[in-house]
Amino acid sequence: MFWRVLRQSFLEGRRRKVLAGVAVCLAATLGMALATLSVGVGDRMAQELRSYGANIRVVPKGESLSLGSLGLNPLKGRETLAEDDLPQIKDIFWRNNIIGLAPFLNAEVEVSGARVPLVGTWFRRDIELPDGDPFTVGVRTVAAHWAVAGAWPEADDEVLLGAALARRLGLGPGAAFDAGAAGRLRVAGVVETGGDEDAAIIADLALAQAVAGLPGRVHAVEVSALTVPENALSTRARHDADKLTTAEYDTWYCTAYVSAIAHQIEEAVVNASARPVWKVAAGEGAVIGKMQVLLAVVTLAAFASAAMGVSALMTATVVERAREIGLMKALGARLAEINGQFLAEAALIGAAGGLAGAGLGALLAQGIGRMVFGQGLAVPWIAVPLVTLAAVLVALAGAAMPARAIARLAPVEVLHGKR
Amino acid sequence: MTAAVSLRASVEPARPVIELRGLGRSFGTVEALREVSFAIPSGAFVAIMGPSGSGKTTLLNLLSCLDRPTAGEYLLDGIPTAGMSEAEQARIRRERIGLVFQQFHLIPYLTALENLMLAQHYHSVADAAAARAALERVGLGHRAGHRPSQLSGGEQQRVCIARALINEPSLILADEPTGNLDEANETVVMDLFRQLHREGRTIVLVTHNPAFGEVAERTIRLAHGRVESDR
Ligand SMILES: Nc1ncnc2c1ncn2[C@@H]1O[C@H](COP(=O)(O)OP(=O)(O)OP(=O)(O)O)[C@@H](O)[C@H]1O
Ligand SMILES: [Mg+2]
Repeated sequence: MFWRVLRQSFLEGRRRKVLAGVAVCLAATLGMALATLSVGVGDRMAQELRSYGANIRVVPKGESLSLGSLGLNPLKGRETLAEDDLPQIKDIFWRNNIIGLAPFLNAEVEVSGARVPLVGTWFRRDIELPDGDPFTVGVRTVAAHWAVAGAWPEADDEVLLGAALARRLGLGPGAAFDAGAAGRLRVAGVVETGGDEDAAIIADLALAQAVAGLPGRVHAVEVSALTVPENALSTRARHDADKLTTAEYDTWYCTAYVSAIAHQIEEAVVNASARPVWKVAAGEGAVIGKMQVLLAVVTLAAFASAAMGVSALMTATVVERAREIGLMKALGARLAEINGQFLAEAALIGAAGGLAGAGLGALLAQGIGRMVFGQGLAVPWIAVPLVTLAAVLVALAGAAMPARAIARLAPVEVLHGKR
Repeated sequence: MTAAVSLRASVEPARPVIELRGLGRSFGTVEALREVSFAIPSGAFVAIMGPSGSGKTTLLNLLSCLDRPTAGEYLLDGIPTAGMSEAEQARIRRERIGLVFQQFHLIPYLTALENLMLAQHYHSVADAAAARAALERVGLGHRAGHRPSQLSGGEQQRVCIARALINEPSLILADEPTGNLDEANETVVMDLFRQLHREGRTIVLVTHNPAFGEVAERTIRLAHGRVESDR
């Protein structure tokens, strides 16, 4: 009977209910978008950390770090690191956490009359560590996200072409082309990284050193390390290691924080500056962070106004249906029953608005994700019931005041009206 | 509780359903009722008459536990109603009293049948078959699925009467049940009350209609809030 009454009375005064539902829906949309962005961005960072390891970029002191992942800046490169120092990186306290490294040297060659960046690196090679152990290094150990169509280069004159460059030159795996000072090169594969490499030729380090006239030098080293998640201590250490107490410093130094490992690399390599690299953290992360704050504020405001909307709706309903409420009381209905009826209506509005809002919010977050990352975000499905629940609670909160009016209503005042 | 009451009722068959002792109700300085005392035995059909403003509705509100007296005592089925909480009053209304209103007061978005079932639901459990039987009783079996707006005034009042009966109350209270009806419907409704009386139900009915005065076995006249005559 409860449901029967609820169903019938829910169909009464639909217009106002739709309005209140829309208010709740709007709030839920923002709430869901917020949840999706928060979780999605976190996921995205975790994913990057997993696939790259926590990469550490080692450059000569004084180099700016804020450029693209491989630092393809022709104005840079005056300062270099010694290729011979590279094995030192695998000789630090956390040597066992270093799982890969690759040197990079930037040069330029002329291809069909245009200047094209040529990046020298090791694709894969075994080196001997200071303690005599062998260690496999190369770009294949640090850049798991490089998608190569064709094969990785094996011979000295084989190279990878960045996808954009390959398209521009009309070359694919197996093709050969003249590359000015670098001579005739063969394309082993085409690589797509989403970064500056897409416009470059990726060749063996020795070739780039010859072209650039910098034998035995490198511009940067990318290091892949296994790390533990950052925490308050490591954040403080990163900002100001000098302010740590001795005990704190020891704890930090002897924990595989990415900042501790970077610090140890700086100690090991002459003239080196080592910094963790988070692709998301720098640019997009900041944008998303601001958007999250903005969304949080707007969401709060929206939920507050949704509660007021429901409150206004329910108050109007109680006034409009005073006679009906008085009748229910006169028939001996329990107060809880009458309240339940009206609260259930509010909850239904909340649930409907909340569910619709959760759907719209997920879509909105996809839109924002596409705008910022060029790619949608994973929808955290657990947020759907949570957002809906929040919407229901807000609607119920809005219905709390009208419930008091119901309790106060005296049946004699509405039933014997002379009309 | 009910068992105890019915036991007592069988031992003392004369125990009244309603017993008023010096009942008074004032609204600020307006004394709507004063020093009203009478008893109504089980099975009686009592008409309450009197000029407008004499306190008839006020009295009925007190009898139906929708209002509280400012003086005197009201015993329903021998139980004093003073000091009852609102929840207890609601329980009395759903368990012992059937109300009929001048304006019918049906829930507009529920069908005739559902209106009866709602009263059943408040009392115990909704029972569609029993509700349908009650509608048959007032000659509206064929209008069970209609909403109040689809029913005539007389039909609405018959639904209202069926609702007042549905939970087998010990007392039926009606405030001008024919006040909004034309003559034909008035007769139908009056016949219905007469029939209920014959079945032995206790009925207290406020009316301006002298015809009802004839039907009732006893008429209490109010004037200025006092009992003027009681025959
Ligand atoms: N809530 C109230 N506040 C103040 N005065 C009231 C209230 N209810 C009733 N009265 C007064 O009490 C007196 C009796 O009113 P009541 O409604 O009982 O009369 P009645 O006999 O039912 O009249 P009618 O035949 O017109 O329905 C009137 O003077 C009325 O103005
Ligand atoms: Mg009256």
